[in-house]
Amino acid sequence: MADAQAPAKQKKGFFSNFGKDLLKAFNTGVSYFIPVVVIGGVFLAFSLASGTAGKSGMVVTNPFMKNLNLIGMAGINMMIPVLAAYIAYSLAGKPGLAPGFVLGYLVNNPVAVGKTNVSTGFLGAMVMAVAVGYFVRWMKTWKVNNTIRTIMPILIIPIFSTLVLGLFYIYVLAAPLSIVMNWLTSVLGSLQGGSAIVLGIVIGIMTAFDMGGPVNKTASTFTMALMTAGVYGPNGMFRVAVAVPPIACGIASFVAKNKFDDADRQMGISAIFMGCIGITEGAIPFAVKDFGHIIPGICAGSAVGAALAAAQGIECYVPHGGFIVALATNNIPLYCLDIVIGSIVAAAIIVAMKPKLDSAK
Amino acid sequence: MKIVAVCACTVGIAHTYMAQKAIEDECAKRGFEYKVETQGGMGIDNELDEDEIADADYALLAVDVGIEGDERFDEKRDEGKCLTVGSADAISHPDEVIDKLIAL
Repeated sequence: MADAQAPAKQKKGFFSNFGKDLLKAFNTGVSYFIPVVVIGGVFLAFSLASGTAGKSGMVVTNPFMKNLNLIGMAGINMMIPVLAAYIAYSLAGKPGLAPGFVLGYLVNNPVAVGKTNVSTGFLGAMVMAVAVGYFVRWMKTWKVNNTIRTIMPILIIPIFSTLVLGLFYIYVLAAPLSIVMNWLTSVLGSLQGGSAIVLGIVIGIMTAFDMGGPVNKTASTFTMALMTAGVYGPNGMFRVAVAVPPIACGIASFVAKNKFDDADRQMGISAIFMGCIGITEGAIPFAVKDFGHIIPGICAGSAVGAALAAAQGIECYVPHGGFIVALATNNIPLYCLDIVIGSIVAAAIIVAMKPKLDSAK
Repeated sequence: MKIVAVCACTVGIAHTYMAQKAIEDECAKRGFEYKVETQGGMGIDNELDEDEIADADYALLAVDVGIEGDERFDEKRDEGKCLTVGSADAISHPDEVIDKLIAL
């Protein structure tokens, strides 16, 4: 009975919720991809910290640290396939996983287009994952006899979807996508002065706006896409900005004793800790309690921090933030200082805007 | 009145569990029976089985991401007894969400 109903229902909902489905899919992809990014980011940060700055980033010489670097790079190489796989999973369920992983790997590795090799990284992964999701969803609606139905999920769906979409990517999509990627990289890589500061402000506001939600992850995905293309500046801005909101909330809860209660200060300690290790979500409990007074402050603080980083040309070589990656940046004292200044600005605005406890009640 | 719910947010460390608490508190206040499954960063906790879902009057999904075992709720959806909201909705106004759910 369920089998008879399923196709009809899927047909009805095929593209009807396109926007909503897509948003949910990107969130799902990001939710599985974050721990992988953290593995890559933290291991790389530790190993790069032991290196010396060379012309093309940090050079690691210690053999043990080189091995940590190897582990970190494994994480970095996995992150795009995982992202693609779980975007496809959200749209098509379990059968979307295998083609999602494989095509995510494909787009992240060089493909020959004409005389040059291109890899389209994030952009390619997101486009291909959505394509896989809808393609597999469509294949699931095929009416086939019972013998074929049993081999659909293990043979026909994975082979056919990967074949069609893989070839489509290589022969059709790779070239235009790589042009878009190159354009983004060259425009944003050469940003300096005023325009870099504007970019910093935008990245800062996006980072703090939903504290680890979809807007924040859009900024993060964007900076990581550039990072995989060898542009580290926007990542530096973003990594300063992620640390600011939780630290600022924590500081504010301790400074303004009459505006936060003891439970807030408890959260404040863990928020400061989370900020130091680059987890913006530490600010969420504060923002949920008092959205209107917290968000403007942390947006401003993150924007200030990121704009400072932009003005100073801070580059961060790992996809993780907070003080723990300071050693993997091109300017350790300024990077830390930017986080501190951003946090103080944000905390000051929060304290100024937030009403006293009694009047709030 | 018996309600089952699933909570899942993007990263699975904050919103998921806050939504769970909000829904549980609201149901307890109204004297409903409830069970809330969470799909957070640590995986599935308090998992709902088919019987529990079939027994419940209504199912509430407070989710921002695709969840595991979504098909468990197909029957409730066909009956029109399943409501999907974002985790933030359940946290900020659980009363309205539950009102909307039991009005289905």
